[in-house]
Amino acid sequence: MQLAWSPEDEEFRTDLIAFLDEHTPEQMLVGFDFQDVDDERELVPQWLRDWQATLFDHGWMIPGYPSERGGRNCTPVQTLIYLETLASRRLIRSGHFPGYAIVAPSLLEYGNEEQQKLVPAAIRGDTIWCIGMSEPNAGSDLAGLQTRAEVRDDHFVVNGQKVWTSYAMIAQKCFCYVRTDPTLPKHKGISLLIIDVDTPGIDIRPLRHISGTAGFAEVFFTDVIVPRENLVGGLNGGWAITQGSLAHERAGLWVEGVARFEQTIEGLVTLARQQGRAGDPIIRRKIASAYELAASLRALGYKGFASFAQGSSAPEHSYMKMAMSEASKAAFELGMEISGSLAPVTDPVFAASTNRFVHGFFMSFANTIAGGSSEIQRNIIAQRVLGLPRR
Amino acid sequence: MDFSLTPDQELLRDTSRKLLERECPPALVRAHIDDPSAHEPLWRHLAEYTALGTGPAADLCLFLEETGYAAAPGPFLATTGYAALTGDDTATGTVALVDDSTHPFVLEADRVERIAVVSPGPRLAVLDVTDVPLRFVATVDFSRRLFALDLPHLTAQPLAADVYARWRERAYACMAAEMVGTARRIFDMTLSYAKERKQFDVPIGSFQAIQHKLADMSLALERATAAAHYAAMTIDGDDPERARACHVAKAAAGEAARRILKDGIQIHGGIGYTWEHDLHLYLRRATADEYLFGTTGWHLDRLADLLID
Ligand SMILES: Cc1cc2nc3c(=O)[nH]c(=O)nc-3n(C[C@H](O)[C@H](O)[C@H](O)COP(=O)(O)OP(=O)(O)OC[C@H]3O[C@@H](n4cnc5c(N)ncnc54)[C@H](O)[C@@H]3O)c2cc1C
Repeated sequence: MQLAWSPEDEEFRTDLIAFLDEHTPEQMLVGFDFQDVDDERELVPQWLRDWQATLFDHGWMIPGYPSERGGRNCTPVQTLIYLETLASRRLIRSGHFPGYAIVAPSLLEYGNEEQQKLVPAAIRGDTIWCIGMSEPNAGSDLAGLQTRAEVRDDHFVVNGQKVWTSYAMIAQKCFCYVRTDPTLPKHKGISLLIIDVDTPGIDIRPLRHISGTAGFAEVFFTDVIVPRENLVGGLNGGWAITQGSLAHERAGLWVEGVARFEQTIEGLVTLARQQGRAGDPIIRRKIASAYELAASLRALGYKGFASFAQGSSAPEHSYMKMAMSEASKAAFELGMEISGSLAPVTDPVFAASTNRFVHGFFMSFANTIAGGSSEIQRNIIAQRVLGLPRR
Repeated sequence: MDFSLTPDQELLRDTSRKLLERECPPALVRAHIDDPSAHEPLWRHLAEYTALGTGPAADLCLFLEETGYAAAPGPFLATTGYAALTGDDTATGTVALVDDSTHPFVLEADRVERIAVVSPGPRLAVLDVTDVPLRFVATVDFSRRLFALDLPHLTAQPLAADVYARWRERAYACMAAEMVGTARRIFDMTLSYAKERKQFDVPIGSFQAIQHKLADMSLALERATAAAHYAAMTIDGDDPERARACHVAKAAAGEAARRILKDGIQIHGGIGYTWEHDLHLYLRRATADEYLFGTTGWHLDRLADLLID
């Protein structure tokens, strides 16, 4: 246990800052909010695609990876510095996380040599991926998925439906979990396929988020032919990968999550001053309490990151997703409280400095529901971390 | 004390419930997002009930629970509030509280004939809406329309302080009744979803995590409903507890609405996060209502004043 950065770490930070000062796109500096897009084709604008490619080309997309995968072989501690620096500048790396955050690490772990050739384009953002897990009857109960892939000589025939598939409308490829053997117990008959989204028989119908903005889609499969070589990780071997996918999603999440949360708290302080509530003892205590939560979670996250970096799976990750998503919801509610009667007003003419809180409040439900709801996270903590009996 | 409804009140509740169910389906609330005139067929029916504005608070609150349940668009709440303040039940109207920073915007001003303006003093002026430049203020709630006014010079008459105080109390109780109605809508949708939706081969309502949430939501809802009814009774009985009871009603309704809207969307999972599902029509109203006629925190502060000072 010690609190110090090495000279190499400081040099890493200096290099990063120099890169960011030079290359950060202007659009990012004016407070770009990619959740505000009405037209799904604009979901990931061109300048953001260019930014992701620039990060990749300079080895700053996933710095822990080697250069051919958009990195510079940095240490885990340096990755931490990287993520925090980005978050403190409110920078995002990409407008579409599935490719670099889920598909790439999953293919590196489970894909064959041919499939791993897809990794650089996934990380650089040249290929946009979507994740086909949830179905109308299989959300929390992912293993209940029914989209069927029948094995024929050299290909699969896929029939069924996915839902809430983020980015499906703009994606080229889908990381799609399908049932390949309905006779086996439900966790054991699932496989993972790489499906080209433009394959005949795929119908994508956009769904809008609660805010009315573009976001996700229903994806229908009718007799879709998928070549055999698109199977990832062995026939009926999909379940192990789903567990991996979610772990990848969570591992990086907390650092960015905590740093973004700290930004929100700074925003609350500014807001309290603007609204003349900075002297209100109730508001002061609530802001302090939000900070206390953030700071303790940050410490917990560091601890988890350290053991994750040493190769062990860290129970801290299970806490982080639930805690961060719930905490950020509460912070937006506090922003609404500070805004008083302006809170529900979205009109920028009247509420330019307050309207992001009510917007953020509604958007915050995405994170307490998607990727394993808060209730499911609590089950995981109770059963897998604490060893309580299952029902 | 008698919480039971008289036969007339039961009739009023049943009639209003049926009327709103028939005339204000979710499709109307949704149509109103883009087309403010979508409320007009509904208004032709609701307009027949505006006399409730000058009648007993208990009757009006029963009716408002149903307009809240349906998230009814239109100037019913505004007009009954206007009538209660001015005694004028021949025109449609709304009330602008220039004296009060907790209520900076004016309900439904573009679809009424008169605006009653309360200015510091308190003083009251009644204006023709055509004399007041209006500016629409967009909020998260598509079912209500708020406006900022560009008020002309007012020739206002003194308004008796206790008359105004009583009107405000009545407004809190009315708002509480509407909020309780909207919260009940979300609660009902959520409860039936928890019974229907299966995951892991069982209804999600069989998980204790979901049961406990629904139990807490139900408690919040039932106590807020009782508090709203009680507040209306103190108004009609001119009871000395009325000031406290009205603050309690609005605060309890705010707490219930917030809890129920949050857990309601959470229990719906992904489907509740879509624009296509109707839940958000009611979530939006429940969210925004807390900030009309004083937030939950503001009412608690006023209660503290009454209890401690
Ligand atoms: C913004 C957003 C983006 C998404 N993007 C994608 C995507 O790209 N790809 C994809 O495949 N999916 C995506 N999803 C779907 C998401 O993963 C599911 O919504 C999530 O897994 C929950 O499933 P569900 O919606 O079916 O809810 P359900 O599983 O039906 O859950 C309903 C309620 O029951 C609770 N519940 C369920 N089981 C239990 C239990 N055992 N114990 C206690 N409570 C329980 C839940 O917590 C929830 O409150 C997205 C969802 C959202 C909101």
